[in-house]
Amino acid sequence: MTTTELLRAESVIKRYDGVAALRGANFSVANGEVHALVGENGAGKSTLARIIAGATRADSGRIFFEGNEVSISSPLDAQRLGIAIIFQELDLFPHLTIAENIAIGNLKLERQAFVRRRELDLWCQPFLDQVGALDSPRTVLANLPIAHMQLVAIARALSLDARLILMDEPTSSLSDDAVERLFATVNRLKQGGVSVVFVSHRLKEIFRICDTITVLRDGSTIGTKTTQSTDANEIVTMMAGRPLKDRPIAKRGVSSDVLLSVSQLTTGRIQNISFDLRRGEVLGVAGLVGAGRSELGAALFGLRRLVRGRVQINGQPVEISSPRAAIEAGVGMLPEDRKLQGLMMQMTVLENSSMAVLPRYQSWGIIRRKKELVAMEAVHQRTALKAASPDVPVSTLSGGNQQKVLLAKWLLMEPAVLFLDDPTRGIDVAAKADIYETIHAAASRGMGIIFVSSELPELLQCCHRIMVLHEGRNAGILEGAQATQESIMALATATAPALSGQSGLPA
Amino acid sequence: MKTRYSERPPLEAPGRLSTARSTGTDRAGAIRLLYRLQALVALLGIIVLAIILSPRAADGSNIFLEAGNLTDILRQVSVTGIIAVAMTFVILTAGIDLSVGSTLALGTSVVAIGLTRWSVPLGDVGRISLAIIAALAAGAAVGALNGAVVAGASIQPFVVTLATMIGVRGLAKWLTDNANIDIGFGQDVAAVFAAFISRKVVVIGSLLVMAAVFWLVLDVTVFGRYVRAVGDNERVARYTGLPIARVKIWVYTLSGLLSGLAGVIYAAENHQGNPNAGVAYELDAIAAVVIGGTSLMGGKGSVSGTVVGTLILGILTNVLRLNNVDSNVEMMVKAVIILLAVAVMSRRKSE
Amino acid sequence: MANRTLALLLGTQFLLLTACHSSAPGPESDQKQLFVAFSQCNNAEPYRAAQNALMTELWAQYPDVKLVIADAGQDDNKQIAQVETFIREKPDLLIVAPNERAPLTAVMGQAVQSGIPVICLERDILEPNYTTYISADNRDIGRMAGQFIVDYLSKKYGRPQGNVVQIKGLLGVEAEIARNDGAHDVFARYPGIKIVNDAVADWIQAKAKDRMTEALRANPHIDVVYAHNDPMAIGAYLAAHDLGREKEMIFVGVDGLGGPNGGIKKVMDGILAATFVYPLCVDKAVEVGNRILRDRNFKPDKVYTLHSTMITQQNAAEAYGQFTFTN
Repeated sequence: MTTTELLRAESVIKRYDGVAALRGANFSVANGEVHALVGENGAGKSTLARIIAGATRADSGRIFFEGNEVSISSPLDAQRLGIAIIFQELDLFPHLTIAENIAIGNLKLERQAFVRRRELDLWCQPFLDQVGALDSPRTVLANLPIAHMQLVAIARALSLDARLILMDEPTSSLSDDAVERLFATVNRLKQGGVSVVFVSHRLKEIFRICDTITVLRDGSTIGTKTTQSTDANEIVTMMAGRPLKDRPIAKRGVSSDVLLSVSQLTTGRIQNISFDLRRGEVLGVAGLVGAGRSELGAALFGLRRLVRGRVQINGQPVEISSPRAAIEAGVGMLPEDRKLQGLMMQMTVLENSSMAVLPRYQSWGIIRRKKELVAMEAVHQRTALKAASPDVPVSTLSGGNQQKVLLAKWLLMEPAVLFLDDPTRGIDVAAKADIYETIHAAASRGMGIIFVSSELPELLQCCHRIMVLHEGRNAGILEGAQATQESIMALATATAPALSGQSGLPA
Repeated sequence: MKTRYSERPPLEAPGRLSTARSTGTDRAGAIRLLYRLQALVALLGIIVLAIILSPRAADGSNIFLEAGNLTDILRQVSVTGIIAVAMTFVILTAGIDLSVGSTLALGTSVVAIGLTRWSVPLGDVGRISLAIIAALAAGAAVGALNGAVVAGASIQPFVVTLATMIGVRGLAKWLTDNANIDIGFGQDVAAVFAAFISRKVVVIGSLLVMAAVFWLVLDVTVFGRYVRAVGDNERVARYTGLPIARVKIWVYTLSGLLSGLAGVIYAAENHQGNPNAGVAYELDAIAAVVIGGTSLMGGKGSVSGTVVGTLILGILTNVLRLNNVDSNVEMMVKAVIILLAVAVMSRRKSE
Repeated sequence: MANRTLALLLGTQFLLLTACHSSAPGPESDQKQLFVAFSQCNNAEPYRAAQNALMTELWAQYPDVKLVIADAGQDDNKQIAQVETFIREKPDLLIVAPNERAPLTAVMGQAVQSGIPVICLERDILEPNYTTYISADNRDIGRMAGQFIVDYLSKKYGRPQGNVVQIKGLLGVEAEIARNDGAHDVFARYPGIKIVNDAVADWIQAKAKDRMTEALRANPHIDVVYAHNDPMAIGAYLAAHDLGREKEMIFVGVDGLGGPNGGIKKVMDGILAATFVYPLCVDKAVEVGNRILRDRNFKPDKVYTLHSTMITQQNAAEAYGQFTFTN
């Protein structure tokens, strides 16, 4: 690892709507190193990365690239310097193909008036190979699952000859295989002299792949350490400002009343899924990307036409033909993509929180703000949400806080069954613990929770039972001692015979 | 019967109520207030300019500031202002209503027909009320049709209201045989109607009342919040179980209703039912809404902004006319101002 | 953010200043300026453009008079607002050519009530809200046109019969009603003369062309086109010419303006069979208006009616010289 400095950011200050996201942060990346940028929710890591990549402008501060002071006021400036960023919420074009997405905005290509499709495919193939994407370059992006889209985003950064690639939470939607491929790519980049900045919460991954770690807290830089000279506990302490004890989640007992009974649920992408959900239970749903976990949620929430299947809630059969019907039947859903499907970005925290149950807080059609506020405060305490005021637009909150608002919205509804699709994606350790506690508190009040996640440790920690999907089918339900990371992966990859029945006993 | 989930009381007892806008949040609130006031600042600026540029009367008084002139301005913007107020709601849902001008024409025609051709055994007040109600009902019916098609058939509002714009114009012309229906100055019921409704107090009062009502509805009612929600992100609204179809039908119905009202006022002021009235009024209404800060993409905006936008356009026109600027130059200046105003507003938002 | 608002305001101010100052020229004189305001309903019509030109030329004789002309673009509401604004400016004389009868009645009443002398030019309103009304006798013109048509048809067929297409202007205007009724006073006596198509083209040439095309398609046999102004007659001619039927019929218009684009030239060229000079009424208006300005005690007649002349091939050349003004 060379010690020549590639990029240095000094005293960067940025405010959003009067709330300081960065209060004079400092950051320095050397040539050919993989550098992690960590911090709690709202610490400013995403903001700093965006400023370096030109996606946002700082209010003040200086940036030096290769020793020269530069001004990065647009993504184009960053691109010219050789800086690329891969966003947490991918900025790709769903209606274009993979090749077109990679090529778009590439200045070198723009000089050619016509580009043949074949040339385009050939040109972008090496980048796709580097990231291990197996899809054909002609595939339309919208047809891909999120994890594949992310690989395309990384491939695009590579195609722009980046000297510095910033990755904002790149592994949050990736399966373990894809993560391995990503790491391999990162190593290759490093060997080629490209520096990578890894904005992430996942300390395990960071310790595997990164050379250096910089910790931000509340918008300031706390410190920078080489990976070799520190450990996870020290980093977590720096992030939180307080030592974080490992809080084990108390799993309450589950009643034997069946809350939700699903049999033979079939849509275009899932086949014959059957399971029961008991009152007070947290049922995990695991599986590879594309196995049908989100599809299951969509089907239960009235977003899909059922080819076959019956759903019963509290013993009563229900016909769920639309989200409205689902809500009336007592089913809530926290979707995977909170920006597109979960929150109204221009509306305030208060408005988003109460949106699902607004009629509760009205008399004669007029909203009673006090009632609304009281309810909102109560539910936000449960999620430990930190926001400047209830009247700020949710677009000004950090990703983690946005997720908390979304969760609060559904908790306020107090549904019988709540389907959570990757609720802790892009959230730091401390906030995750808050969310697990919230989930369990809700379950102990009698709610039935379906918890989809790609993080197996999280599922094992939180769930009473874990259902594993494989290619649209229920490959089995594991519980107790049977549930281990290995057994889950085995079912998910179909490298073990599918377990029959729902109790998890081998056939 | 099982109560609907959205109306069930929450299980938990409410916690403490912390002060809603506590210190530390004031800064964010203050900055947001400043953004809102930006339209007002622009309005004040234009007023100052108008005062400076106003010619003086023979006795040296500032013509622009004369009470008569100021109320003239209010009167002149009332008809399109009323339409713009309702248009705000439509645009907040990320929709648009191009048929408002034609509906206004329908309104003038219906009220004039009602006053001059229907023989109903009611007193003057009764006949006038009936004619007005008929015009309002006709406008609301057009609006409801727009809303039903937009909500039910999932066709873009631009296309739907474009079709209605053409169709309703045809309807108005057919009802009146393509002729204007004169409302005289005599003592008959039509003349009484015109004399009363065309009074400045009534016209300006109608605008103010409608603006106040819609302002309130948007700010404090459930319906108002749903309107913004649907425009902000319709998919999320659907996933949250909001009654999207109902909201859409209502906003278009209200737009039609207020266009009908504008038509009634137009008929009184112009002393005629005119099936050719209101051409391009939708553009004036949309311009006022946009200058007032409402985004055409929905979710963000206010009725107060629309009122400010309407006033800005009215004062601008007045300044130019008091200075006897050629009316073609007037149009060009207005266009430039509209673009400037929108450019300023949108650059602020993109940060 | 504040910077941008400031930029917007400064930009607006600059723009307004430019606009306002560039449109307010005027004689640099120290005498008291008399302000004459003229609210014209629609500059786009040639007849009205001729009115404006003559109005400007005649008032220019008096160096102490400042004339301002406002164009309402055929929009009632705009004209009402323009008149209201003029009232605020307290002109010494207000001349209005109303776009339509009913809408302009009330606001002209306001002008009268504020003590401003008002001349109602060429078109009538519903109530006599003016100091004086100067018009031409449109009914008479209608009768003259009707008689010309009857004479022509009698010559063509030996007796007064034939198919007539009528093209009308804005229906709410007195001139329109009168030209229509005048012709019908004559036609009523001859049942053999049929109006086969009654089209409305709002005084506009392009609309008349469209309406005439429809009429041509609907009627295989047309003898006369009687359009209530020359532009519409010309539009009808063009429509017939496109379909190759212009020789089948004659075209009669009203206005009789001079100049290369006017009706008189069209008669000379054989496009129109006849037109009827519609007096601009402007010379009378300026004459009466000037007296009002100078003489406080002058009480003008309530109504001044001017008469028309028929222009046909025989007198067209001479009339051309007479009625063409150098603008």
